[in-house]
Amino acid sequence: MELTKNITLGVYLPGKSFIHRLDPRTKIIASGIIISLLLIIRSYPAYGVVFLFVAAAVLIAGIPAGYAFSGFKPMLPVLIFMWIFQLFLYSSSDAKTLFSWWIFSATDAGFHMGALVTLRVIFLFGVTTLLTLTTSMVSLTDGLESLLSPLKAIGLPTQELVMTMVIALRFVLILAEELDKIIKAQMARGVAFDRGNFIQKTKKIFPVFLPLFISAFKRAEELIIAMEARSYTGGRHRTKMKTLHLGRVDLEAGLIMIAFTALIIYLILITVPPI
Amino acid sequence: MPITVKDLCFSYQKGTPFEKKVLHNISLTIDDGEFVGIIGPTQSGKTTLAQHFNALLMPHGGSVTVNGYLTSDPQADLVDLRLKVGYVFQNPDYQLFAQTVGEDIAFGPQNQKLNKEEIKERVAAVMAQVGLDYDTFNQRDIYALSGGQKRRAAIAGVLACKPEILILDDVTAGLDPRGREEIMTVIRDLHQKQKITIIFISNSMDEAAELAERVIVIDQGRIFLDGAVREIFKQSAQLRSIGLEIPEVISVIEMLQKRGCVLPTIPLNLAEAIDCIATAYREREENR
Repeated sequence: MELTKNITLGVYLPGKSFIHRLDPRTKIIASGIIISLLLIIRSYPAYGVVFLFVAAAVLIAGIPAGYAFSGFKPMLPVLIFMWIFQLFLYSSSDAKTLFSWWIFSATDAGFHMGALVTLRVIFLFGVTTLLTLTTSMVSLTDGLESLLSPLKAIGLPTQELVMTMVIALRFVLILAEELDKIIKAQMARGVAFDRGNFIQKTKKIFPVFLPLFISAFKRAEELIIAMEARSYTGGRHRTKMKTLHLGRVDLEAGLIMIAFTALIIYLILITVPPI
Repeated sequence: MPITVKDLCFSYQKGTPFEKKVLHNISLTIDDGEFVGIIGPTQSGKTTLAQHFNALLMPHGGSVTVNGYLTSDPQADLVDLRLKVGYVFQNPDYQLFAQTVGEDIAFGPQNQKLNKEEIKERVAAVMAQVGLDYDTFNQRDIYALSGGQKRRAAIAGVLACKPEILILDDVTAGLDPRGREEIMTVIRDLHQKQKITIIFISNSMDEAAELAERVIVIDQGRIFLDGAVREIFKQSAQLRSIGLEIPEVISVIEMLQKRGCVLPTIPLNLAEAIDCIATAYREREENR
């Protein structure tokens, strides 16, 4: 029983690699570009290139491949469900029927749509995980804040928003740890979470969430008091101990990103999408 | 239900860059009716070790045998095992989740599929054992309880499963002296009257000295000392070297010994110490 083992989102893996040394803004913009490209890619070769690119980034960052993949394990049922859903429900006028079952029929268009949607989610998750694995919480906050600062002009409390978001990310891991303890406490009193049918299993989940919510609220309250005790006020008048600087590595990364984006757009233009 | 641990190794986050080896080749046996204190500094692996006793964690190396069954055996009935080896957690908030005290205590027996009458009887019986008045507390909201009452409700919830071994994980932490004394009395009674095997995890030497018969000292995932409580506390220099305090009573006795006072035995609690010092004093007066 160890829930935290499979959570990679929101975890920071310290290192000194090329990717670790990049300015957080460079990494956030690069992730943003990749994510935007993912939303328009509809062909397998382009996905292939994205895969190679992300895989290379994982290797350069020195993240063990097995660990990078372990984050997908808990998502697997959802991904498979998504694919099946698309397989049976998506269709287009010229789609060929692959096979039929009862009132459902699977088409090749559905098959490809399922594949594309699933790949999209996998890469979205992968890119975000890579960002948080190589960027500490403090620099992630600073980077986002600096990027969002133009919005201050229209009265958006960017600093507070970013702080909230980063804390939420951090809470993923904390809540998983607490969930682990609660599940253990109930297992110790005779709950077998792995026994029974789907409905019986689902029923066992509810008593787990009550203590989890209560402890989450408690933690949030403690966090507020701790922040106030250290005179956190948020807002515009905050200054930084460490200011961000773009360096040589960021220039190199920028050039790589331009080349990558050009390649992907070229691939999108020349390949015929499967649907 | 004896527990036998052989060459137990365990790591958290195994297979990730954060892998941390917590237990290194631990071997020990706990027999029926023992009162064992597991003592060690924080992060020494006490809780990790104890969670192997009721198969909440599975060994990465070596084996854990409870009542003749290997916990890692896929055929083993782990639900039954966990009910027989009761575990009271460090923080009662993780353990208590029902609306009222009565409902929460009934959770274990409900999982054992007992009928309503039996459950009610058990709830009343264990509430009496931990000193919570049935009529006052049965309908009481869990979140309206004080720290000490929460701990007692948590212990009652585990006792309701009728365990043969009871693991208490730092159950006195954060309590005021009175709450602490009340919990210790409950624990002492369980061992003496119900003959339940007790495994008491703590980083307080004073509590271990007062309650346990045998003490296992864990440091950095290894067994540092294991023996009868009086033998353990003779090695005060070693205990101090790993950052543990020795019981206050023993420090006083040590000071007396350093000044040439000859004492008949090593006392473990205040009452014994008073007797012991009084006897020594009387003998000295007579010899003069």
